Amino acid sequence: MKQRPGAWLVLPALVPVVLVLGAGIGTAVAQSLGLMPLVGVPRLSLDAYRAHGADVLTATRLSLGIALAATALAAIVGLVTALAVVGLLGRRRSGRAVGGLSVLTIPVPHLVGAAVMGLLLADSGVLVRWLGLDSLGGIVGGPLWLAVVLEYAWKESAFIALVVAGTLVTRVSSFDETAALLGAGRWQRLRRVTLPLAQPALIASSALSFVYALGTYEVAFLLGRVFPEPLPVLAYRLFTSVDLTTRPQAAAVAVVTTVLSVSVLLLTLTALRRSPAWR
Amino acid sequence: MALTTAAHPSVRRTRTRPRRVERALRGLRGWSGLLHLGLGVWFLLPLVPLLLWAVADRWSFPASLPQDYGLSGWRGALDQGAASALGRSLLLGLAVAGLAAPAGALAARGLVLGRVPLPGLVGAALLAPIAFPAFAVALGLDVLLIRTGVANLVGVVLLLAVAAIPYTTYTMRVAFGAYDLAYEDEARTLGATRRQVLLRVQLPMLAPALSGAAFLAFLVAWSDYVVTLLIGGGQVVTLPLVVASAASAIGNEAVVATTSLTAVLPPLVLLVLVRLLGRRRAA
Repeated sequence: MKQRPGAWLVLPALVPVVLVLGAGIGTAVAQSLGLMPLVGVPRLSLDAYRAHGADVLTATRLSLGIALAATALAAIVGLVTALAVVGLLGRRRSGRAVGGLSVLTIPVPHLVGAAVMGLLLADSGVLVRWLGLDSLGGIVGGPLWLAVVLEYAWKESAFIALVVAGTLVTRVSSFDETAALLGAGRWQRLRRVTLPLAQPALIASSALSFVYALGTYEVAFLLGRVFPEPLPVLAYRLFTSVDLTTRPQAAAVAVVTTVLSVSVLLLTLTALRRSPAWR
Repeated sequence: MALTTAAHPSVRRTRTRPRRVERALRGLRGWSGLLHLGLGVWFLLPLVPLLLWAVADRWSFPASLPQDYGLSGWRGALDQGAASALGRSLLLGLAVAGLAAPAGALAARGLVLGRVPLPGLVGAALLAPIAFPAFAVALGLDVLLIRTGVANLVGVVLLLAVAAIPYTTYTMRVAFGAYDLAYEDEARTLGATRRQVLLRVQLPMLAPALSGAAFLAFLVAWSDYVVTLLIGGGQVVTLPLVVASAASAIGNEAVVATTSLTAVLPPLVLLVLVRLLGRRRAA
């Protein structure tokens, strides 16, 4: 066998990753198939997936909807912020200031973001007081999950802006200048130069934001309503239920979320690899 | 921009179509001040109630500013155990950063040196934790940890370190991409020992990237809620758990604000330090 000195260097990272992911997801799958019940005899079945079939379907639709709305908003705000940061919207100093403010929100934990959105948007929150209204009509805990969407959009727009501005800043000025010299107008430069350059980073960071919103528990738990529940909230409730027989059902919801999340990222990766800007 | 008048004919032809948009964009230049202001408000506005509530002793509805200012929110935070939670969060963050940053740096070096078999697969595996929802992994692992009797805290640290490895590995791969291995060879040729190369060449050159990677890993642990909740089993009470318990009660706004601020300020200070370190090295 060919000797490969240096290959061991990856082991301190690779071994824990493979062990933890393998054990965690493996156990969740086994549990969801009835092979590891906390009480009773192991028996292979799909009961855990069927028991709350309608709820899981509702939760899936809800989670996808929230993640989609939040990601769309975050992508738009994030892209505009990135353009401002690299100075393409004029007013370079304001652009840099906006960039500084967006970076300020990066270290805010999502849970704190949710708490802060609660202070701002709740029916007795600060915004209602400032606007002199009686209520905001249920932004927090309302049927449209607006506070949840806004929290994800707020945090993730800063993330998307950071990633997109990072790729733009190294390349855009020279390309933009060349295009301007060749006579391209503002709109043409934006459409033919800047956006294609930003596209892979925008798609990749949006996909990561989408997956994050899909798999996060605390924001919907703090700012959402009691019913219907998004996937992580449903899984957590079933997992911590006094009734131990719901554990496999919680595992089933976890497996469904995992499959969705992995599929979205794989699809994105395939799409990105096909795009010419990938290389 | 004056050069646009000397446009190449072919460019000019394609330009007729979006003339309306062109005009709109020119109009936008006037609006760009408003746009920048809007973005500033978007990022800053949610943080304003935090600052006001943190110093409000009394702020009853519908007043637009607090009636009485004071530190009762901070006393409330202390009563909720925010001080010890702060210490626990810091230790957890440092432990995870201390594990994930060196592991990521070693893995990145291994991959950059090109001596790892199946580098594509290994690289993908190291990024995989991003694709798996933390609550799902924690939920599965919890059962296993109970059966094998691994301590809760060890489980939390291990899972969060794994969650941080994609970020540290990626950061260090980028850093090694811009790092010239020839410096090491040169130092060795000049008679430096391996240890000297590590201390005098590698670490100083990679320090900004390493501190960036460590900061990201720290953030993963610092921000976590669901893993600590599920695997910690209520025994590892970090700051996010304190914030959550304050935020899920009603009429607790001042304590929510002070505990939240406690959870926001330390990483912000770290971020500034990391940036300063990066800038000093770059200079």
